[in-house]
Amino acid sequence: MTEAEKREVPPGTGQDRRSFITRLSCWWMGLGLVAGYGYFASMIVQFVFPARQSSIKSWQFVAVANSLKQGDSLTFVSPAGEKAVISCVGTKGAKEDFIALSSVCPHLGCQVHWEANHNRYVCPCHHGAFDQQGIGTEGPPKAASQSLPQFSLKIEGGLLYIKAGTQSLV
Amino acid sequence: MGVVGNWFKERLPVSGVELAELTNEPVPNHMRRWWWCLGGTPAYLFVVQIVTGILLALYYQPSPETAFESVRRISEEVNFGWFIRSVHKWAATLMIAAVILHQMRIYFTAAYRKPREINWMIGVSLLLCTLLLGFTGYSLVFEQLSYWGVTVASNICDTVPVVGSTIKQLLLGGDTYNRNTVPRFFILHAAVLPTLMVVLIALHIAILRLQGITELQFEDEPEEGSKHFDFFPDHFYTELIVGLVLMILLCVLATLFPAGMGTHADPLTTPEHIKPEWFFYPSFLWLKWFPGTIAVLTSGFIVFIMFVWPFIDAMICKITKRDDLYFWIGIAGVFMLVGMTIWEVLH
Repeated sequence: MTEAEKREVPPGTGQDRRSFITRLSCWWMGLGLVAGYGYFASMIVQFVFPARQSSIKSWQFVAVANSLKQGDSLTFVSPAGEKAVISCVGTKGAKEDFIALSSVCPHLGCQVHWEANHNRYVCPCHHGAFDQQGIGTEGPPKAASQSLPQFSLKIEGGLLYIKAGTQSLV
Repeated sequence: MGVVGNWFKERLPVSGVELAELTNEPVPNHMRRWWWCLGGTPAYLFVVQIVTGILLALYYQPSPETAFESVRRISEEVNFGWFIRSVHKWAATLMIAAVILHQMRIYFTAAYRKPREINWMIGVSLLLCTLLLGFTGYSLVFEQLSYWGVTVASNICDTVPVVGSTIKQLLLGGDTYNRNTVPRFFILHAAVLPTLMVVLIALHIAILRLQGITELQFEDEPEEGSKHFDFFPDHFYTELIVGLVLMILLCVLATLFPAGMGTHADPLTTPEHIKPEWFFYPSFLWLKWFPGTIAVLTSGFIVFIMFVWPFIDAMICKITKRDDLYFWIGIAGVFMLVGMTIWEVLH
């Protein structure tokens, strides 16, 4: 800008330009601050919530089928942490003679156990009960129509297998 | 004044007289009565908790593999460990009882009314923090009650619509109880909640000082003459005596009924008879009566009502033109809570 042009700038315009630039820089700095701390906050959220491990279902060995007699039950914990209770309800040793139910109460997550004298699963925490098929019959599970989830079972070569979660290596 | 005195005077230009004047708030006469001066009790017990908590943290190891063993070591091997842990446990119990009694006193004297609504809300937040401190405290021992208490509590969070699953993830550090869980509860118990409480207590006291204590008039008090007495030294001595009595009580309780230990947590077996600590009996019973989501949402609604009670009370007064209904609602609430607690004790 030549000296002549400088002289032609109306009074006050230089001041306006300066205050405009000041305001603009303030906004940019504010924006930078929000973006910086916002990104930091997103990093904190990712830090606090651990990554979920992927889980795939696969057939897993439980027991020799004829080693379980009618009325017997056993607890199974899958590598992915699922807890199941497997009961023998028949005498033939066929797939239909076994039931695998989740042993985690769908109400608030306590462990259910089999009460043979009442032919039911009982949750000691809030007095929920389930029949042999895992259907809620008493307490909060009945009120909310909740059941114990079932696991698939199969018998191959006289061995009992359950389909449950495994943790992937990748 | 000696050399040392002058040295301090130059650097801290406040005299003892000025300090006494600064702290000397006028205290209403009704606080000469013992049952009416217990607002400082929870604060005193909170200090006891901080001191004993720091001491316990010197030996406690927050991980599923080491937590139970480190608590056993504190209780059985560390010099006076059993005593420090028992004082910590009993001070927690007394603190919860003191906060509940203090809140009841405020409620039944309608001291929450305008202009003290905000301080009531801070008080309710302090009550919730105290209950959470109690819960996170017994979850650290990693005994059966700890494990199943955390499992149930996280699943309670899970039933909250929209945000429940995220809160559960945040609490447990995963989908189920895992190796991240104990450290998280330790951080909540020893850092997050106490810091929050210090801030809330400071606000509570600051607002109390700004507004002054609610003044109550008893029938046997003369209506003429001064209605106040000095905080220092009169009320200060009273608080000193309360502190001394509490310390004696804590020592006696810790010695006669030391904190015990249950069995080690077993993720595959929920014990046949399991109950939370006494202060959660009403919510425990509530969870038995109603299905998960309904129980949780109604509990949340009741807490919300408590939180905004001063405004609801003002509306009730305006609509009904009566200012004593709060009293009967309070009586009904207390009967219900006490009744539910007794029911759970007996069953």
